[in-house]
Amino acid sequence: MDGLLQSFAAVTQPDVILAIFIGVAGGTVLGALPGLTATMGVALLVPFTFGMDLINSMGMLLGIFLGAMYGGSIPAILIRTPGTPAAAATAMDGYPMGQRGEAGRALSMSLISSVSGSFIGVAVMIFLSPQISKFALKFSSAEFFSLAVFGLSIIIAISGNSISKGLMAAFFGLLLSTIGSDPINGLPRFIFGRMELYEGPPFIPTLIGLFAVSEVLAGAEKIISAKKINAKVDRILPARKDFIKCFPTIIKSGLIGCFIGAIPGAGGDIAAFVAYGEAKRSSKTPEDFGHGAIEGVAAPEAANNGCAGGAMIPLLSLGVPGDAVTAILLGALTMQGLQPGPLMYLEHLPDVHNIFAAMIVGCFCVFIVGALGMKVFARVISIDKKLLLPCIMILSLVGSYSMRNNIVDVYITIIFGIIGYLFQKYHYPLSPILLALILGPMAERNLRRYLVISSGNFDFIYTRPICTVLLLAAVASLIISLLNQRKITRNLAKAEAEGRYRDEFGSDEAPR
Amino acid sequence: MKKFWSFLLVAVLCMSLLAGCGGGAAVDEEIDYPTATITAICPWSAGGGTDTFLRAICAATEPILGQTITVSNTTGGGGATGHGAIIAAEPDGYTIGMITFELNSLPPQGLVEFTYEDLDPLLRLNMDAAAITVPIDAPYDTLEAFLEYCKAHPGEVTVGNAGPGSVWHLAAGVAEQECGVTFNHIPYDGAAPAVTDLAGGHIDAVAVSSAEVLSQVKAGTMKILAVMAEERNPNFPEVPTFTEEGYNVVFGTWRGLAVPTGTPDEIKAILVEAFTEAYEDADFQELATSLGLGLAYQNTEDFKAFLAENAASVENTMKTLGLIE
Repeated sequence: MDGLLQSFAAVTQPDVILAIFIGVAGGTVLGALPGLTATMGVALLVPFTFGMDLINSMGMLLGIFLGAMYGGSIPAILIRTPGTPAAAATAMDGYPMGQRGEAGRALSMSLISSVSGSFIGVAVMIFLSPQISKFALKFSSAEFFSLAVFGLSIIIAISGNSISKGLMAAFFGLLLSTIGSDPINGLPRFIFGRMELYEGPPFIPTLIGLFAVSEVLAGAEKIISAKKINAKVDRILPARKDFIKCFPTIIKSGLIGCFIGAIPGAGGDIAAFVAYGEAKRSSKTPEDFGHGAIEGVAAPEAANNGCAGGAMIPLLSLGVPGDAVTAILLGALTMQGLQPGPLMYLEHLPDVHNIFAAMIVGCFCVFIVGALGMKVFARVISIDKKLLLPCIMILSLVGSYSMRNNIVDVYITIIFGIIGYLFQKYHYPLSPILLALILGPMAERNLRRYLVISSGNFDFIYTRPICTVLLLAAVASLIISLLNQRKITRNLAKAEAEGRYRDEFGSDEAPR
Repeated sequence: MKKFWSFLLVAVLCMSLLAGCGGGAAVDEEIDYPTATITAICPWSAGGGTDTFLRAICAATEPILGQTITVSNTTGGGGATGHGAIIAAEPDGYTIGMITFELNSLPPQGLVEFTYEDLDPLLRLNMDAAAITVPIDAPYDTLEAFLEYCKAHPGEVTVGNAGPGSVWHLAAGVAEQECGVTFNHIPYDGAAPAVTDLAGGHIDAVAVSSAEVLSQVKAGTMKILAVMAEERNPNFPEVPTFTEEGYNVVFGTWRGLAVPTGTPDEIKAILVEAFTEAYEDADFQELATSLGLGLAYQNTEDFKAFLAENAASVENTMKTLGLIE
């Protein structure tokens, strides 16, 4: 503990704080722009940090990581365009809130959840790293398959009003996820001779198309009649009532995010959806989810930021990166002459403490950047639709191109924009497609890999305890969501009779 | 305002005229190159080994050429998109690219229509040999003991690689063939998850480069039994090569620079000279070593011969592994 306090002294030097602050501010912008991700920001900055001190360079890089996780939620709430895949779940409730004129309320909850989630992740990282990293290593192909199945079981929770439509959307996503090279023998599937599809449908362009472009198309339909939306931000901190209501969700989601983040190969996007599903399951009013429930913003945001701390756990204590960003951080640490792994805690404890302290300072910086920027961000929503929609369109197309510098990705974005528009028009939810695209390949690859390792043996279902627990949890989650859905349908009918949600259901607006 | 626009128009016209003159003069007189920013295409995404390596060598070359070199990550298709972009680029010397092993492994699978002959190689800069790595508590300490174990358990020893048809899959295949053993090949999505699974004890060995297992070996959780290189790796001087152990296995990945076919010879000469000087730069060498990337320089002629030989060997291995017919 003394070491950690000394590190605080080292980290609270003006130049270090400046480095972290620049990282967080830059990360927030990167995260908020669709198509630019934390991975990209960190990757591009690493070469410049080679000449810097360890503490400055790591501070800046970790700042980007934390900032981007928060930044992704801003466009998700304001224009239903998740800036990063990890913020996709936030759009489900954040956007309806914004449209209701509660953008300020959603933004402040997203900020406080992100900051709290980061703190939870960092706290777990500081105190429980060795224990969790041992657990994380137990995850292999069979466990990843079971985790993916568990993740897929929350599809019902994100299906909106109709389970059958949700399932159809999910199966559409699963079907899409079979495009690309076969994970075991490498043969191309459904790529129609286009090598651009060899690695499957590119995820970010698909995401931008489904959410942002489809929203532009839908918005263009009623561009004349669009009414001005109130974008007043009267507070930076959420109201005490909201905070108390969301507090248990935030804590739970932060922990979920941290644990999922600690498993190498599972990241913020999965964590956010799982936390959302859990928040809806445990809510007293699950029917509000999807129509602007404040917990629906708190849960994914706390989870994806908790993930940042979680992903650092296997990196520092095992030398195994938890996700794409930490994979690059591993390279950055190696270049600084540090070798993450079991010996790092023994030989370089002060450096480990510096990283801890830098992350804590980073959490504060996220708060400052978010608090300073909130009023500016929120203005976006009140911009005239005639000006806003073309801007979103351009941003979407540029963002999809920038991922791989490939024009085919722009076409894919437009195609998925049209698909997403049609889905919305006929009241099919979009989030299940996304979840299936994330988890489908994970399930397939890992199941098939495990079957190669075990020569076709399925007995992991009962011989591997983690798998058994996860698969049972998946079954339980399915049953509970089905029961919950009945309650939701009942409550919704009552609410409609009382006049709640009339605005959303009255017109041809799709409930989502 | 009108004045401003006419000024801008005149300025643009003048500049394009000047640019035209520059181009015209270059043909008969001494070549004036480079006069603008150079783009370097990286077929792999930012943050990976190829990207870091290319950015480092470009940073070292910029002061020599006196121009900025912008790295552009044109990725996708398992490297196909980026290599295709280098081939399709304007051969004016302002687009160069980093080519990697996949240039030779994609064509035999029928996945792309180009081969290494469709571009002009400049230099080979890096070569990383495959290494057989096992957990520290594995019951074998030498390659010989490992192979004996494999012979006693044919088809049971699980060897992780970076994906079907990837360089490390082929490396394990070459070793299998030369040493007379049969592995159970386990494909992962890249080398890192395979190493993670080895750390968790879920597979028996990996056949990836020593750079990928550097941190685990240094931390004492894994041991390298042998490397498939001609010489021992300076990072692990105690690890023998396959050749020393009596098996003729030399296999690994490589990275080099290339330009689109038709780039003028004078420009190629300037680039080769500049990048060679950058390669010898102490900072660059230090960085490459710290990343665990093996420096293996070859000039244009040797690199061409190497590419031809490598392409043939890759195709052969794929046939024996049953990846192609």
